[in-house]
Amino acid sequence: MNPKLVTLSVNHRTHHVALNPNTTLLSALRDLGYTDVKSGCEKGDCGACTVLVNGIAVNACLQLAWLAEGQDILTVAGLGSSDQPHPLQTAFADFGAAQCGFCTPGMIMSAKALLDERPQPTEAEMRKALSGNLCRCTGYARIFEAIEHAAKQLNVDSRG
Amino acid sequence: MREFELLQPKTLPDALDALAQNDAARRPLGGGTDLLVDLRAKRVQPDVLIALQKVNELRGVARVNGHVRVGASTPIAEFLKHPLLTPYRALHQAASVFANPMIRNAGTIGGNIGSASPAGDTLPPLLALDAQIELVSASGTRTLALDDFFLGPRKTARNANELIYAIQLPAKENSSATRSCFYKLGLRQADAISLVSVAVWLAREGEKIRDVRIALGAVAPRPLRAKRAEEILRGQIFSETNLKEAARIAAAECSPIDDLRASAKYRRRMVNVYTRRMLEQAWQNL
Repeated sequence: MNPKLVTLSVNHRTHHVALNPNTTLLSALRDLGYTDVKSGCEKGDCGACTVLVNGIAVNACLQLAWLAEGQDILTVAGLGSSDQPHPLQTAFADFGAAQCGFCTPGMIMSAKALLDERPQPTEAEMRKALSGNLCRCTGYARIFEAIEHAAKQLNVDSRG
Repeated sequence: MREFELLQPKTLPDALDALAQNDAARRPLGGGTDLLVDLRAKRVQPDVLIALQKVNELRGVARVNGHVRVGASTPIAEFLKHPLLTPYRALHQAASVFANPMIRNAGTIGGNIGSASPAGDTLPPLLALDAQIELVSASGTRTLALDDFFLGPRKTARNANELIYAIQLPAKENSSATRSCFYKLGLRQADAISLVSVAVWLAREGEKIRDVRIALGAVAPRPLRAKRAEEILRGQIFSETNLKEAARIAAAECSPIDDLRASAKYRRRMVNVYTRRMLEQAWQNL
C-alpha cells in the first residue's frame, strides 16, 4: 500500500497531500486542519461529517480521499467567516439551534444542500433533508426554525 | 482500516481487466456506503479495491428495447428525480425511505443489489417489478432474472470476474392497468434498517387480478418472492377472502429471524398485515 500525492480542493483552496489509499475523506480533511468536519459514528448513521462534494451532501466518513481528487469539497468553514457568516450560520446562532454543537456543522451542510435545491422548503422537506443528521442534545425544533429563517434571509438577499 | 490497494479504472475494459486478475482478493467499490462500513468493521478484507466511479459505461438511465436500463452506478437519489424512473412507484417509494439523504446521494443501485443484504430496500421493489440484471465480464455479458441472482445473505450469482452492469425494468410492467407499491417498516421514520418490507405489483383486468407479484424484504435469507401467495390471487376476483388468504400464505412462506430489532413472530405477523395493505393500496389506485 503506497501513498499517493493527491490534490484536494477544499473551500476553494487547493491542497497537495500524500495519502494512503485507505484514508477516508473525513480523516484527510481533519488532518488538513478542517476540524469543523466532525467524526461521529463513522458509519454513515449520524451525519456529523456531512460535507458537500460538487454541491451534493455526502458522509465524508464513507468516501475514500483518493476518489475526492478533482472534486469541489465544501465544509461548514467554507460557507462563511466570523466576519461574514452565511445566513444559515447566523440563524443557527441567533435561534439557539446548537447545544453541544457537535452535530451543527453537518446540520448546516445538509441545510445548505437543501436550500440550494429548494430555496423555500416546506417543513416536511426540511425534516426529510435533515433525516440523516442526528442531534443527541435537545431536539430539532430550533434547528428547523433557524433553517426557515435563513431561507427567508437568503430569498430576500437574492431579490436584492 | 485494513490496508489495500485502490485502483481507479477509467473504462469498463480496464475495470474488467483489473477484476480478472486473480492474484489477490479483489472487490468492486461503488458508492462505498456499505463497503467502507464493512472494511472498518473488518467484515471484509480485500487486498485490492476497484473503484468504479470513473467508469462512464456504468452510468446512465435510458429506454432500450421495451425496458428502462439503469446503469449500476446510478445513485439511489436518482430514482427520486429521473423522469424515466419516477413512474416505477414501488422503487420510488423505496428510494424515498432508503437510509438517509447522504447515503442516497452516494449509494448506488448496483451496490444495493451486489451487497445482497436480505434487508436491502430496493430489492423487493425490483423483484416485484420483475427486473433483470445484466452482468459483464471480459468474455461478454449475460442477463438473468434478478430473482435468480440472490443466493443467500450477501451471496449472489455474480462471479468474481463479473461486474453488475445494469438492471432492466420492463416498460410494459408500468402501464395504466398496473400499479406497484412498497412499504418499509422500520423502528423510526428515517435512517432505519427494515424490520419488514413488502413490495407489490398488480395488473388489473376488470374485477380480476390479471397478474401479481409480491416480494418481501428482511424476512428470509434473501429478498423473497411470495410465489404461493401470488398463485392464490392470479386470475382471481379481487375479494376480501382471496386477499386474506394470500396475506396468510405470504406470512407462511417467509422465514424471519429473531434479532435485536424484532422477533420472528412479529415480523411474520407484519408480513401478513402489510402484504394485505399493499395489495389493497395497489388495487385501489388502479
